[in-house]
Amino acid sequence: MRKVRTLALGASLLVLLSACSTGGGSKPTIKIGSDGFDEARVMAELYAQVLENAGYTVDRAGIGLGTRDVTNAALFSGQIDLKPEYIGSGLSKQGGTPSSDPAKNQSELQAKLATQGGGITVLGYTPGQDTNALVVRKETADQYNLAKWSDLTAVADKLKWGLATDCPTSPVCAAALKDSYGIDTTKIDVTLLDACSSAMDDALTNKTIDVAELCSTGPEIIVNGWVRLDDDKATQPADAIAPVVRNDLLAKTDKTAFSKLLDDVSAKIDTPTLAELYKEVSVDKKDIKDVAKAWLQANGFLPVAS
Amino acid sequence: MEVLPGIVRWFADPTHWQGPAGIPQRVLEHLLISGAALLVAAAVGLTAGIAVGHTRRWAALAVNAANIGRALPTIAVMAIVLPVTAAMDPQNGFKVYPAVIGLIVLAIPPILVNAYTGVSGVDRDIVEAGRSMGMRGSQLLVTVEVPLAMPVIVTGLRSATSQVIATATLAALFGGPGLGRYLVEGYAQRDYPMMFAGVILVGVLFLVLEAVFAFAEARLTPRGVPRSGGEARAPLVAPGRP
Repeated sequence: MRKVRTLALGASLLVLLSACSTGGGSKPTIKIGSDGFDEARVMAELYAQVLENAGYTVDRAGIGLGTRDVTNAALFSGQIDLKPEYIGSGLSKQGGTPSSDPAKNQSELQAKLATQGGGITVLGYTPGQDTNALVVRKETADQYNLAKWSDLTAVADKLKWGLATDCPTSPVCAAALKDSYGIDTTKIDVTLLDACSSAMDDALTNKTIDVAELCSTGPEIIVNGWVRLDDDKATQPADAIAPVVRNDLLAKTDKTAFSKLLDDVSAKIDTPTLAELYKEVSVDKKDIKDVAKAWLQANGFLPVAS
Repeated sequence: MEVLPGIVRWFADPTHWQGPAGIPQRVLEHLLISGAALLVAAAVGLTAGIAVGHTRRWAALAVNAANIGRALPTIAVMAIVLPVTAAMDPQNGFKVYPAVIGLIVLAIPPILVNAYTGVSGVDRDIVEAGRSMGMRGSQLLVTVEVPLAMPVIVTGLRSATSQVIATATLAALFGGPGLGRYLVEGYAQRDYPMMFAGVILVGVLFLVLEAVFAFAEARLTPRGVPRSGGEARAPLVAPGRP
């Protein structure tokens, strides 16, 4: 009797195993990652909750992981399966030249990523855009008559600069400043701080730095009445956000349904929405999960708890 | 990933040995912030610890207050004091002072607790013998209690120093100086050789200072007094007078 039962158990396990290995419709655990700053983290959280609602298990350990150098390495090696990517900056990191056309950026990034880390797919991008911005305090703008990046060239050595920790190796940061504006970041007073972080905001508030590299959607810019300078040589890509996903994960699930889940969310994120979500986390200090959940409920992606 | 050859190449690159981001400069910065924190912590911790150990008064209060410092993460202390110090001095108040203050809070407990434990732990018979020879309190302290407590006191300083040297890397999180720059920038730029070079340099600095303390401990310990091993454990409630 016992023997029969063991056999039966073994048989059913085999069936289960084979069901898993056929893939296609199963719902694997998805390891989500993101950059370290609040906007990227809230985008990652939106995708995470929509996937959870659809029955996927989500591992959030990679959310807030670090700079693009770090998250790319994690994605290409399979330590994370998915991350929200700023497709313009992402493209320039892969050696491409981003334009102001997000559709073109997306297809070029897709071409570059198709061969990376066993194949990466770029899903649909948001209509909303975020751009690396150089921001100064109002009085600094008045004192040196600053309105655009070119105005910085002549006074670069009189100012204290706060740039992102990955700026020295970033093609849209140190290289862009040098090649397009003649500002050599190794010859000026630079403090390297995390991109779009509260440390960067605090440093600008406290006059530790005079020029801060921030996200254009960063709420502190408006809250503090800071001046965002115009990138008149157009070195900074207009960054729409799209989830980038490992192909080996997509192969394990229903790719069409999976993509649609995330594309529907992305399609609803315009620039004011990005700025609002960012503000709720960064200025209002609300919990990221609550902010994401409230937005998803308000837009019909999650059931509203009665 | 060829990390090891990368690290060797990083150290072999002469450009990494000069200029404001070079190894000598970073090591110097690291020693300066660590040294400043240790000086202040030693001034506070030794004074309070020896005084409390000698008088046996306020011991529970001093020791427990110091131990709260052990429970406070250094990064939390930095974040708390940053708005205040940055308002006073936009440059050092943002990049340097929060780290130094955080390190002071970190370093006081081992120094204070060891000084207290060392001095209060001196054999009462010896102290009484000194007193019966007509020694005043201050004489007892300088000629009997502190010398006999020296191994335990130095162990406290040594333990504080090793913690401070490792933790001073946090300064870099707020754009500060020191070897932490290599860790923060190495991670952000995924330059592993730079990052591991930072780790190695902190380790080397730690070993060098350990050697200095081992030497100091040997020189400062009176003959006949056994040299101490580990860090003294603080009693939760200090003993009263015997």
